[in-house]
Amino acid sequence: MKKSILFALAALAATGVAHAQKLVIKGSDTLGAKLVPTLAEEYKAKHPGVSFEIAAEGSTTGISAIIDGTAQIGMSSRRAKPTEMSAAQAKGVNMKPTIVAYDGIGIIVNEKCPVAKLTKRQIEQIFAGDITDWSAVGGPAGPISIYTRNTSSGTYSDFKDLAMNKRDYAPSSQKMAGNEQIAAEVAKNVNGIGYVGLAYITDPGIKAVAVDVEGVALLPSKKTVLDKTYPYARPTFYYTNGEPTGEAAKFLEFTLSDEGQAIASKIGFVPLK
Amino acid sequence: MAINSLKRLALLGSVAIGLALPARAQDSGPLLDLLVKKGIVNDQEAEDIRAALVKDFAANTSAGKLNLSPALTEFALSGDMRLREQFETQRTIAVPGTASVANERERVRLRFRLNGDLKLQSGWGAGFSLQTAQNADSANQTLDNIGTNYGIYLARAYVSYQPSLNWFFTGGKFKNPFFTTDLVWDADINPQGFAETHTTFLNGKDTFEVRAGQLVMKDNAEAIAAGAAPTTGVDAWLFDQQLVYTKWFGAENLSDVLFAPGFMFYNASTITSQVSGTNKEQAYNGSTKYLKIVTLPGEVNFANIYGTGTQLKTYWDFTYNTAANDRAHQSVANGGYGLPATTNKGAMSWLVGLGYGYGQGKNKGDYSLKADYRQTGISALDPNITDSDFAFNRLNQKGYKFSGSYNLTDFASLTVTYFITSRLNDSINTKAPALAADPTLSDLNSTNTLQVDLNVKF
Repeated sequence: MKKSILFALAALAATGVAHAQKLVIKGSDTLGAKLVPTLAEEYKAKHPGVSFEIAAEGSTTGISAIIDGTAQIGMSSRRAKPTEMSAAQAKGVNMKPTIVAYDGIGIIVNEKCPVAKLTKRQIEQIFAGDITDWSAVGGPAGPISIYTRNTSSGTYSDFKDLAMNKRDYAPSSQKMAGNEQIAAEVAKNVNGIGYVGLAYITDPGIKAVAVDVEGVALLPSKKTVLDKTYPYARPTFYYTNGEPTGEAAKFLEFTLSDEGQAIASKIGFVPLK
Repeated sequence: MAINSLKRLALLGSVAIGLALPARAQDSGPLLDLLVKKGIVNDQEAEDIRAALVKDFAANTSAGKLNLSPALTEFALSGDMRLREQFETQRTIAVPGTASVANERERVRLRFRLNGDLKLQSGWGAGFSLQTAQNADSANQTLDNIGTNYGIYLARAYVSYQPSLNWFFTGGKFKNPFFTTDLVWDADINPQGFAETHTTFLNGKDTFEVRAGQLVMKDNAEAIAAGAAPTTGVDAWLFDQQLVYTKWFGAENLSDVLFAPGFMFYNASTITSQVSGTNKEQAYNGSTKYLKIVTLPGEVNFANIYGTGTQLKTYWDFTYNTAANDRAHQSVANGGYGLPATTNKGAMSWLVGLGYGYGQGKNKGDYSLKADYRQTGISALDPNITDSDFAFNRLNQKGYKFSGSYNLTDFASLTVTYFITSRLNDSINTKAPALAADPTLSDLNSTNTLQVDLNVKF
């Protein structure tokens, strides 16, 4: 009798576990602030037994979470570094990147700033601290205030690679936790400049600056990102330990589905097709 | 979604072959971007290949496991190991009526140096050098007691900043920033303090440089505990400034000419407790203020005059201590070693040399031959920094240095060097009965030194 009760309790517990699947997703703020929570809500509506734990604290934390085994999906707006790959291999983790959407890093200024376009060279010089006053790039005199992401952000390192020839940011630059914070600070500061993902360039109080590429002024858009003419375009990733399985595989499949990609497009990302 | 295995293998192979080395997986980006642009692979397939290459890079190369600072743009690790057999003879000045003593010694010595030089972003730099032996003027470690291991010391540690091509600043303990010969500066000594260089680029490759250094020679206690004897300790600083003009002519015959006039002087202080001990200047308070030295080094180089790769060099150095009278009195007369009033105070030193060689000493078969002659007046130089191999740092000497070097391989060379010196002014250190002891600044009658070196660089 006692054995029967124990067996019944164990079976009940097992059933409960099977129904209360929890998907832990960590990493990029670019993906984790809007896109993935929205996808998760839609996914939960179709799969009521699934719950999500989403922590958007930067791509570095997402890649580390896969290496440490503390998340099933690591969101990242940058590729894993060789040292991260090496650390993963040392722990028997097979880092597998899957592109889930494209993004363009938009250069934003305060909406009252008269500067409408900048060359790639000027952008590099501004963020590296070589140019410190708006008057040097056709704006009214005033010290340029630079807002960047913090060092755990994939956008932070992506922007250095894509726009700054891998140079370091100006010492005076202010590090922000996320895209929304950068957009909010630039909206408050008429001398501000920063960068945000495509999903944030229409935030209130700011405007995107066109990038002058060989005489052609290019704004970040779905078209310029997809045809790869916009210079600061990049893929965004889900990292998993090998091919994903279980609920992680299903959520990845949902993300890549037409429905998932439509959500990505609606939020401001560029869908894969 | 998954890429076809055969296609993946073929692409991996072609990218890897194209890159020649898996260690260059980081360079695969442009090639993969081109393949995507041409529609040969899609973005996800390119990403899979990129990840596989990075994994290979991370797993199979040492570089892939290094986690270097993002601020680092270049990290140069270099070094060398020298094995030396040295034969030396030091003949002392004999007391009148007695024979001179010849101190002979044979030593096997080694010198190991490991250098790290880092280039950081925005013109910053830093570096270090670790080497055997504590003495700044020689990294040689004599093979001594079998029961003894040897220490490693920090010979260089510096930060540098180059805000533009024209300016260069450095601080710490660094390579000698001045154009000089071993008449004035021992090549092993790394000065410490601060140095600045401003370069003006003239026509073509010609340059005009202003170099300056504020060099710490000795840290002295400025104050002592209450109740103790009063002290007048002041840190000893050397202030050295130099104008360097380089004129380039061409790749053949007369190649270039370099002149580097300068002026070096000290504050009024004391240099004591030199590591090398008794063969250095016997210090006393204020002694360094009598070193105000004009320096005039230079060289003329000829290239390819006896065939491609050959080089002929003439070089020289000249110094004059404008405070020599006081220096001679303080350095030599102090303590009872009086100089006759008519004696030359040894204000001047000079060196002339000739060199001939093939190659730059970087390839198998390269060789060089050099010979120079020099005279070192007793008041003309700071013996704390002169070449320790020439007369064992003693001044009031004249003599020759001969050297020949041959590259056995691109990285290993054999060098033979011979020094022969003798006393320059016999009226100094006469060992007259009234003189109790030699001033160690100039206590040798003659010296011979033969060094046979095997050098391996990496």
